[in-house]
Amino acid sequence: MLGLLLLGAIGVGAYLWLTTVRWQDDSAAWELKARGYAEEVAELRAELDGVNAELVAAREQLATATQRITDLANEKAQLGDENVASQQYLDYQTRVSEAAGVVATALGQCTAAQSQLIGYLEDSEAYDPADLDRFAGEVSELCRQANEANDQLQRELTQ
Amino acid sequence: MTVRARRRPASCAVCGLVTGVLVTFAAAGCGVLPELPDDVPGDVVPTLAPSVGSSARENLSPDGFDAVQRMAVRIRNVGCSGLSTGSGFAIDEHTLITNRHVVADSEVLEVSTYDGRDLEVAAASIAGLADLAVVRTDDALPSYPQLADRDPVRGDTVLVVGYPQGGELTVTAGEVIGRTTDPLNENLGEVLVTDAPVEPGSSGSAALDTDGRVIGVVYAKTSDDRSLLIPLSTVHGLLADDRAFMAVPPCA
Repeated sequence: MLGLLLLGAIGVGAYLWLTTVRWQDDSAAWELKARGYAEEVAELRAELDGVNAELVAAREQLATATQRITDLANEKAQLGDENVASQQYLDYQTRVSEAAGVVATALGQCTAAQSQLIGYLEDSEAYDPADLDRFAGEVSELCRQANEANDQLQRELTQ
Repeated sequence: MTVRARRRPASCAVCGLVTGVLVTFAAAGCGVLPELPDDVPGDVVPTLAPSVGSSARENLSPDGFDAVQRMAVRIRNVGCSGLSTGSGFAIDEHTLITNRHVVADSEVLEVSTYDGRDLEVAAASIAGLADLAVVRTDDALPSYPQLADRDPVRGDTVLVVGYPQGGELTVTAGEVIGRTTDPLNENLGEVLVTDAPVEPGSSGSAALDTDGRVIGVVYAKTSDDRSLLIPLSTVHGLLADDRAFMAVPPCA
């Protein structure tokens, strides 16, 4: 009976020894693997920190770039508005200048016609009174139109 | 007797060894003794598919600008007797919505995008019964939003995207205060009142909900700095009616 127990104990002991050795090997293998992964994790963390830093910088650059694009779009729009406004003002000035030229011509014609009429009246006996009246009416109408054009120009200029 | 006595220990030793082994494995099998470890696998790193978070996906943009900004346009009205600016927004690839008074009395309409690109205008038409206008473009618009399926109610958040004072593209936020009859008598039915800040030049801006869907069109500002919107239902109704819009009259 003691022999049986002894043999059983030897068997259990041998199994425990084998188990211990195998677990030791296994533990060492896992530790090696864990250390490998730890190194890999450390490298990846360092890479991640670097990539995150690049990402933050890229986001800041993107924000700056989009703001710059917005600013440039706004500047372009404002310049476009100013360009259109300038063109419209130029067109207005051109129209006013042309109108001023027309008014000046009309007033000049009025003055010349009045001078001519005065000359006729100074020697009225030499002319048919009906013709003088007709000419005086034409001069009056011409000067009225010239004055009206001048008034319109003055009103335009005061706006 | 002697022979028998000599053979018994040998058989007992074998029996004991066998019994010991059996007991050992039985004990191991029952968990009394520790089991032998499995082999260490070669690779324990799980394989995961790369994924992008939903918030990051929502922020994806081809150029860093929000969809809200990309669908807004600035409208320059080179008018028969002056210059004015307004805002607008795309509803499809070639169609803009803005206000009638933004495009009225125009000799030339010039449309530009959030990034300063000029878009060629094909045609413009105005609504007779509301301060709304539709502008068609030859060039494709960068982006267009969805239209909401209902009008907002009091307390709903509203975002206004446009070009106040003809300046930089801005997004302002506020709340729907309620509905009222149109104080300017330019629209049929009721209009929406919000406290979202607007300025001259904001006319035609899109009013959006928090999901970026259109809920109305800005058309005026009150004396107490509140903004007036043409509700989406009115916009829907007019867009569905082919006879609601007519071409912008040319300069006299």
